[in-house]
Amino acid sequence: MALRSQLLKGVLDACVMAVVEEEAVYGYELSQKLQKIGLPDISDGTIYPVLLRLQKNGFIRGEMRPSASGPNRKYYFLTESGRDELRQIAAEWEEIATPVSNLLKRSE
Amino acid sequence: MRTAATLIEENNGKRELLNDENLALYEEFLLYIRTDLRVDEQAGEEVLMDLLDHLLESQADGKSGKELFGDRPQDYADEVIEALPREKKRNAAVFIISQLLSLAGWFSIAYGVVYILLSFFTEVDTAISLGNILLLLTTVSFVAFIAVCLIFKMVRSTLFRPKKSRTMEYVKAGAFGAAAFGIIMLLAWLIPEFGPIIQLEWWLYVLTGLVLMAAAKLLSRI
Repeated sequence: MALRSQLLKGVLDACVMAVVEEEAVYGYELSQKLQKIGLPDISDGTIYPVLLRLQKNGFIRGEMRPSASGPNRKYYFLTESGRDELRQIAAEWEEIATPVSNLLKRSE
Repeated sequence: MRTAATLIEENNGKRELLNDENLALYEEFLLYIRTDLRVDEQAGEEVLMDLLDHLLESQADGKSGKELFGDRPQDYADEVIEALPREKKRNAAVFIISQLLSLAGWFSIAYGVVYILLSFFTEVDTAISLGNILLLLTTVSFVAFIAVCLIFKMVRSTLFRPKKSRTMEYVKAGAFGAAAFGIIMLLAWLIPEFGPIIQLEWWLYVLTGLVLMAAAKLLSRI
């Protein structure tokens, strides 16, 4: 992962859940979407450890589905507890995002 | 749900669609995951399939596989392994027991077949001592287990390295295999006869072997 920080790891978990909440996606689709959103410098592979971690915690689950392009793919869905987790992270993020970025901008 | 066995089979076929560069990258990654005995096999095969699908799709989009595995593929593989669930103790135990049963099965069948073949030409002493045979089986499994661990470790140490330095490693792995086999032969010769003597018809050995192998097969389906 080009972005080494622990911070990004946590943020990435939330981003992946947010994308999955919107619509069930498979791996490649997910990495395309994250890049389109404009997250910098994330290599394609970064999402897989994230997906595994989220599955282990029960926040998302995988299911085989036929894809639009034909072959069966593993689509990821957000679970109930994933939804709760995402709500919570979003609320925490909301609280800290503006003050922190104001503060960091000032010290530049 | 797809089982690990079907995933492996599907993977073997799909992998051939990769171009040479991507195939080389992918197979190193695959070996690294599969030779890590801590990893839950089912989850490992699932993520391998996810990555293979991803690679095929990015290949179709004209992207390099390096974008998937990053600049430090081994670190990436370690990160994936870290996130994968561990193999459950119960699964590992079932696997080991089924391997032992099938080893004993092969042993028994081979004994029966060799016995009947030899008896065409010469008088054969079919008496075997139970103690000897059980001790031999135990040590063979132990030596085989150590050899597999060592060879896996060696294979892993060659991955993600330039190809040139590998020949030596392969020679080493071969030597280890040969040494393990040598030790087994030596033990077969050294272990004394003890315990109750059994004497069976050749076909009973074959039958026992088949039953053991069937049991092993059944067990591995659990």
